[in-house]
Formats: sequence, structure tokens, C-alpha cells
Amino acid sequence: MNLKDIVKMLDLKVVSGDIDREVSAGYSSDLLSDVIANAQKDNIWITLQIHVNIVAVANLQELAGIILVNGRQPEQITLKKAEQENIPILLTELPTFEIVGKLYEMGIHGNSIN
Amino acid sequence: MKLMEIEEILEAEVLTGEYDPEIEIEIGCSSDLMSEVLAYGEPCSILLTGLTNIQVINTANVADIKLVCFVMGKIPDEKIINLAKKNDITVFITKLTTFESCGRLYKNGLKSCSYFDLDK
Amino acid sequence: MDNNKTTTKIQELTYELKIDDVMCKNIETVSSKMPISQLRDVLYKKRISGVPVVNDDKLVGIVSIEDFIKCMEQEEMDALVEDKMTKNIKTLYADEPLVHAVKKFEKYGFGRFPVLSRKDKKLVGIITKSDIIKGILKKLESVYHDEEERRYRASHIFNDIVADEVFLKFQYFVEGKNFDKAGEASTGLKKTLYRLGLSPDIIRRAAISTYEAEINIVAYTDGGEIIAYIDPHQIKIIIIDKGPGIPDVEKALQPGFSTAPGWVRELGFGAGMGLPNIKKFTDKMTLRSTVEKGTHLEIIIKLSDYRNED
Repeated sequence: MNLKDIVKMLDLKVVSGDIDREVSAGYSSDLLSDVIANAQKDNIWITLQIHVNIVAVANLQELAGIILVNGRQPEQITLKKAEQENIPILLTELPTFEIVGKLYEMGIHGNSIN
Repeated sequence: MKLMEIEEILEAEVLTGEYDPEIEIEIGCSSDLMSEVLAYGEPCSILLTGLTNIQVINTANVADIKLVCFVMGKIPDEKIINLAKKNDITVFITKLTTFESCGRLYKNGLKSCSYFDLDK
Repeated sequence: MDNNKTTTKIQELTYELKIDDVMCKNIETVSSKMPISQLRDVLYKKRISGVPVVNDDKLVGIVSIEDFIKCMEQEEMDALVEDKMTKNIKTLYADEPLVHAVKKFEKYGFGRFPVLSRKDKKLVGIITKSDIIKGILKKLESVYHDEEERRYRASHIFNDIVADEVFLKFQYFVEGKNFDKAGEASTGLKKTLYRLGLSPDIIRRAAISTYEAEINIVAYTDGGEIIAYIDPHQIKIIIIDKGPGIPDVEKALQPGFSTAPGWVRELGFGAGMGLPNIKKFTDKMTLRSTVEKGTHLEIIIKLSDYRNED
């Protein structure tokens, strides 16, 4: 599914990056080390972390984008870095549980773990 | 939603022994930051988290959360289980990710906690 | 006999509990035209030893694993359930006291009785001896729990004390940097407030705020203490530590502002929400801090009965 469609259907606010890209699956975590270890390429990442390291993690893992939950605003430096690296940052007022639920209903599933 | 349904949906394993099958789980929340969990206005009934330390149980205890589910097959140590048992908190583990777990529960009708009706 | 008393309590419960309270309601049934050969699947899959036979909502018999085994021995697997089932069956009504079931089990020695509703004589459940034991144990457990709670509940303590002013004081010591013990003070306070019979909402707000404050002591200081004063109008909790103090109090109160080191963040805290959370859940919060000296946090939660006054 294309990130553009997700943005449209879930009414997300785009604050950085090009959103015309494919999303493979979803990953939800607030622990950066966990995302580095377990997220996969083209995942959409759901988190409430807003500091600049999230951009580095998204870049490293080639994630499709980051959704910040609970109405969180990224720090200024995070935003600047995300623009530089072309990482989409999307905002929602919803909590993690609900935004993940809605993505799931649209057909975005979690990575399978072995 | 009954605990047993959740156990099935998440293909979970119960670590705290027998649970009361009548307990109703109504509201779900997921976070790896405990202060975020504490900030929710109403008590959530299930917390899904990738964090496995004793503070998860203390958080569940003070916030009246009945069921904690650790995701991605993370196995909490004995101390955590014992504290949970002492406080009547049920502990599940699932091999699924947070994303997959939340998605399945939401799709099966579990309601989400809400962050913004705190000031009522 | 030394177990006289428990016997009496159990006997009492067999009169108090209804069959409806303990029977299994999620029942499997079969039709009388089912071949015996198919019975195996029903019994094995559900791990039951007998199943009621129902035609058009009417109970016509009961067929058990013994019937099935007999057919197997005599190679009569093609027979129908109606030919092998017990037809003259004893039943119970759902509204009968449990003691009736106990007596029937004694009298007939059956493994199970179908239970009917008195009104329309429809099958509503099935009862086995183990259902009775489980039902009584569950009831005993809840009776025990209620009694224990009653013993501890001291909600009338303030009414019973004759004085112009009265308050209770609970004090907890918090060790710095020891995350394993963090939470002991606040969960202890929570339990105490519960035993005092305060409302769940009040207890939750007090417990969450104290817990956040306790985490702050553990994460940032070398230790401190938490003192809760409870009077009939409010809970006042004072949290004191020995330093290092907060350089910019206003900034510390902003959601998202944090100076937490990495180890605190990896433990799930330090996202700059502690103090805002405390503020959110309390009626009044006063924070005073002196760098290198320490921090003094005072929070007040009004008890619901008095919340609308002043």
C-alpha cells in the first residue's frame, strides 16, 4: 500500500518528506534499540519518541515513514534532519493502539517474527 | 472481551497461572514508555509492551491495569511474574509484534484508550 | 470432629447456591438419529463423558462413553443414538438449591444430570460432581476474600475517632538509583489507601502521582522520602529528596522536557512526562527546588465528598 493513501485515509498531518512510497508492513515501538534490531525495510514506524535520533533510525532501517502519536510534535532539530534525509514524519492525535488498529484494518500487518 | 479470547487472538502464553475467566478487558493501550501509560485518562485494561522490567508491573498496579502482555516472545524474569501475581495482574507473552498484537485486538473489537479526555 | 466447622460452611453453601450458579451452560448435545460411530468425535473432542440427546429442543435421553464402549465391543457402531441411550433420565431444575443435586448424585450414582428450566422444560445445562466442587470452592474463595477485605477496611476510622482534628500519617523511604525497588513506596501507599476504603479514582490518582515522584527520586537523586497525610478532606503527599535539585523548575514542568540519562529512558521513563502527569492527576501541586540542596514536592488530592466545597 502506498503511504499517500494511508495519509489520506487516516487524515495524518505530513510535516516532512516525500510520501509517495510503498509501505511493506508496520512496526510499533518506543525503544530505539528495539527498532534498530527488529524493524524491516519499508515499514511504517509508530512511536511517541520525538527526538532527532528517530530520523537516524528510520534512515538506517530504510523505513517508509514515522507516525508520531498522541499529538506529539517533533523537535525542531528532528524536523530539520528529516527534511534533509527525506524521511516522512506524519502526525496523529490518536494513541498507538488505535492508529495501529486502523492501519491493520486497512491491511497493513506486523512483521512476522521467527 | 474476555481474557480467554485475548489469549487466543494473540496466541499468547499465560505466565501467571489460572485467571478469572469472567474478567472483562474493555480498553487497550500500548506503549514502551510507562509515563505515557500513566497519562491516559481512564484505566486501560490491557497494556501491550515491549519493555520487560519490574516497573511495567508497578505501572500496571498503580494505573489499575488488569492484564499485561509482553510482545515479541520476550520472557520476563521470575521477580516480575511474582510481583504481578501478588497484585492480581495477569501476564501474557506473545510471539507477535506490538503492531500485529494491537492490530488483531482492534480488529476484533477491543476499544482504544483515549489520550485527550483527561481534563473532564 | 475437628473439621466440623468447614462441613457446616459447605453445607450452608449447598443450600445457598443454586444449580444454575455452578452448572455448565455451554453444552454440547446430539440428535437421537446420530449414528453411534459419530459419537466418538463429540465426546473425544470436547473431552466429556456423556452428552444429552435433544430433539426439537426437547430432552429425550442421555448417551455416555460407556454406551459407546459397549457398542464398540459388540460391533454395533451403526446403531443410532436413540437405540443405545438411557431414556428414563433423572433431571434437575436450574433454580433448585445445590443440595438437591448432591442428594441425587448420592442416590443414583450417575456421573451427570441434565438441568432443565422450570418454565419451559428446555435443557439449559448439565451438572457433574466436579462442577459442584468447583462452584463451592469458588464461592468459598470469594467469601474468604470479602471477609479479609472487611477486616482491613477502616473507612469509618475517622468517624470513630473523637477529636477536633485528626489525620493519618504514612511515611516511606526511597532508595536512590535502585530501579528494582522503585515503586515499592507508591504501591505500598496504594494498598494502604485501598484498605482505608477510599474510592478507586482517588486511589488511582494518588498512586500514579506518587509513583511518578518516586521514579524521579530513584532516577535523579541519592534518595528521599514520601510522606502522606490523610485527613477526612484530603490526601497531602510530600516528596522530599536530598538533591541535586532542578535548575529550571518552569522548564521541568513542560511536557516532553527531560534531562534523563539513557539508562532511565531504556527503562521506559524519562520522556519528560513525570511532573506533567503529577500535575494532571492532582488538585494542587507545589514544587520547590534548590540546586545542590534538593527538591520539595507537595501534592494534594481532595477527597471526592469535599471536592466541590472550597
